Amino acid sequence: MSADSTRSGIELKPVYRPGDIDAADYAERFGDPGEYPFTRGTRGHTGQGWIQRELSGEGDAQRSNEQLKYLMSIGQTGLDVIGDSPTMSLMDPDHPLARYTVGTQGVSLCRHEDYRQLLEGIPLDLMSISSSTPSMFMVASLYLIAKERGTPPEKLRGSVIEWPFYSEHCSYAYKMPFDLHLRMSCDVIEFCTEEMPRFHGFLEDTYFFSEAGLNAVEEAALGFVEIRHIVRTLIERGLDIDSFAPRIAILTNCSMDFYEEIAKIRAMRRIFARMMKEEFNAKDPRSQAVNIAVHTSGLSLTTEQPANNIVRGAVQTVALGLAGVSALEISTFDEGYRIPSKEAHLVGLRTQQTIDLETNINSVQDPFGGSWFMESLTDEVETKILAMVDEIESRGDPAELVNSGFFQQFFHSTMGRYHHQVHGGEVLKVGMNVHRMPAEEDTLLRDIGEEKISPLFDRIEDIKAFRQDREQDRLLSSFQRLHDVVQTEENMLEAVIECTEAGATMGEVAGIMRQAWGAKYDPYGYLESPLGGAQ
Amino acid sequence: MIPIRVLVGVLGMDQHELGAVGVAKMLRDAGMEVIYTGCFNTPDSIIRTAVEEDADVIGISSHSWEFLYYMPELLEMIADNGLEIPVVLGGSVITDEDTTAMLDKGVAAVFGSGSVATDMIETVRNLVPAATTP
Repeated sequence: MSADSTRSGIELKPVYRPGDIDAADYAERFGDPGEYPFTRGTRGHTGQGWIQRELSGEGDAQRSNEQLKYLMSIGQTGLDVIGDSPTMSLMDPDHPLARYTVGTQGVSLCRHEDYRQLLEGIPLDLMSISSSTPSMFMVASLYLIAKERGTPPEKLRGSVIEWPFYSEHCSYAYKMPFDLHLRMSCDVIEFCTEEMPRFHGFLEDTYFFSEAGLNAVEEAALGFVEIRHIVRTLIERGLDIDSFAPRIAILTNCSMDFYEEIAKIRAMRRIFARMMKEEFNAKDPRSQAVNIAVHTSGLSLTTEQPANNIVRGAVQTVALGLAGVSALEISTFDEGYRIPSKEAHLVGLRTQQTIDLETNINSVQDPFGGSWFMESLTDEVETKILAMVDEIESRGDPAELVNSGFFQQFFHSTMGRYHHQVHGGEVLKVGMNVHRMPAEEDTLLRDIGEEKISPLFDRIEDIKAFRQDREQDRLLSSFQRLHDVVQTEENMLEAVIECTEAGATMGEVAGIMRQAWGAKYDPYGYLESPLGGAQ
Repeated sequence: MIPIRVLVGVLGMDQHELGAVGVAKMLRDAGMEVIYTGCFNTPDSIIRTAVEEDADVIGISSHSWEFLYYMPELLEMIADNGLEIPVVLGGSVITDEDTTAMLDKGVAAVFGSGSVATDMIETVRNLVPAATTP
């Protein structure tokens, strides 16, 4: 990012004038907030601001439940949970490869009981429950918990992420054949549409893969490639676009390129609206209006001088307040080292609250609307996003591009590029590659960041014991049913719920699905299937 | 001159690959041959690949605390197999205290997030006795 261009390479002029935008067709290109094409926001003015939450999850479900209650006690208005690396990769804690990381970078969840503990005492009908944990398992347990508590599932709110295109090569690998992962996503979306209609079964998460060093245009373009493919697949299944599109939402990143990030969000709302209306023929205005939630960029933060990260989080939050987003989490000051500490949670949430309550930021919606500069930049970002979507789709079926390694190669190139930009000083990071200080003087907040979480070795033993303690006949018959269902075109959720109730673990369910699909039960080659047979 | 061969990989369930990919590119640009093994490695798989590929140096990138357990295992296995391949560790999660502990255990060099490219390249070069600066 140079002084005269954005991170995506859009050249900036020193001054913008009326001639830089075409202000005609207000209704067609801008519309009031709450009106098509939703450039200025998906809802009319409420003055309410955004759902304030912080990413949470560490140790076991009970410890994470305490964390959630702490966050609620200091004013968090929605929940956002992430699993540890094994959980995020459909792996149980007693898998040999999981050993040194159980509960260290998120919460360890692998069975229904864990989800029960995680959500104990959380009012399901009042709290928006979002998570980055594997969607099928969160939805199955959330649905069951609601029923157990007598809360109608149709009252549940929140979201789960769907990431069949990119997770395998750029974050947490499911080690699933692409078509199976896509089917899992579509099954979750379909199930939520029917059983949990207020819940967003399809949160397009562009955050995680943009952390591979993508710029704003690349992030949005890859997001729309995935959204389009999933929407087309759901329509091919026979679903009506207006039955599920109102519950598509997007979780984006927000880097330090202040203006471009605001323009990106405005452009994404407009692109989504037009795509739904013109391409997919959505009639319901709610199908055309996409809620955008944001997680501020972890990649923009530094391990050096961690207090500077508090400033970064605040600046990004202001950008998002100006862009008008539905929910946000700040990547906290200790992000370079660990998942958020209690102290970092407090600072993150207080940052959001201060900006929300003290600055009047919510008094006017889309304050940049009509700015010669911002409208010009929004147009340029939009044009570049659409061009990149076209360019990718012109290479052939996007699903084939996943399998051929096209995206993996793309991510490797952006990772290398970003690394080079930072080490070459092209992307400036105060404290890291400019205004450095000697390590012995760089002490402020470091002790908090450097505090480690020990792996839960006890939990590994607990899960091993738990496996022996289940009603084996019931369990095996639920596995067999799931195996059979995977080989049909039936939605897999009911069979997964049956397994979950029978005490199945996530790793087992995922393994049975792989096996039924003709893939290895354990992609890492350590475990054998409870159903026996070809592994 | 035969280029230095460096194996670069990530251990365990750590799936933050940016540092590994970035360093691999940096070493390649410096004229070294990089054997990139990606994620999901174990000490065992790293050693097997290092031997098969005749690596001069092993470079481990880490964005999780798994290195605390895997690195000693890796060093022990290298010694048990009678190998003499220096191991270099890099990653932003590594604290000064960790660096001291890792160096004590026999890691040849440790690089934190703010490490300068030229230092890293120079250090790797110096680890290979036969190599001379071009």
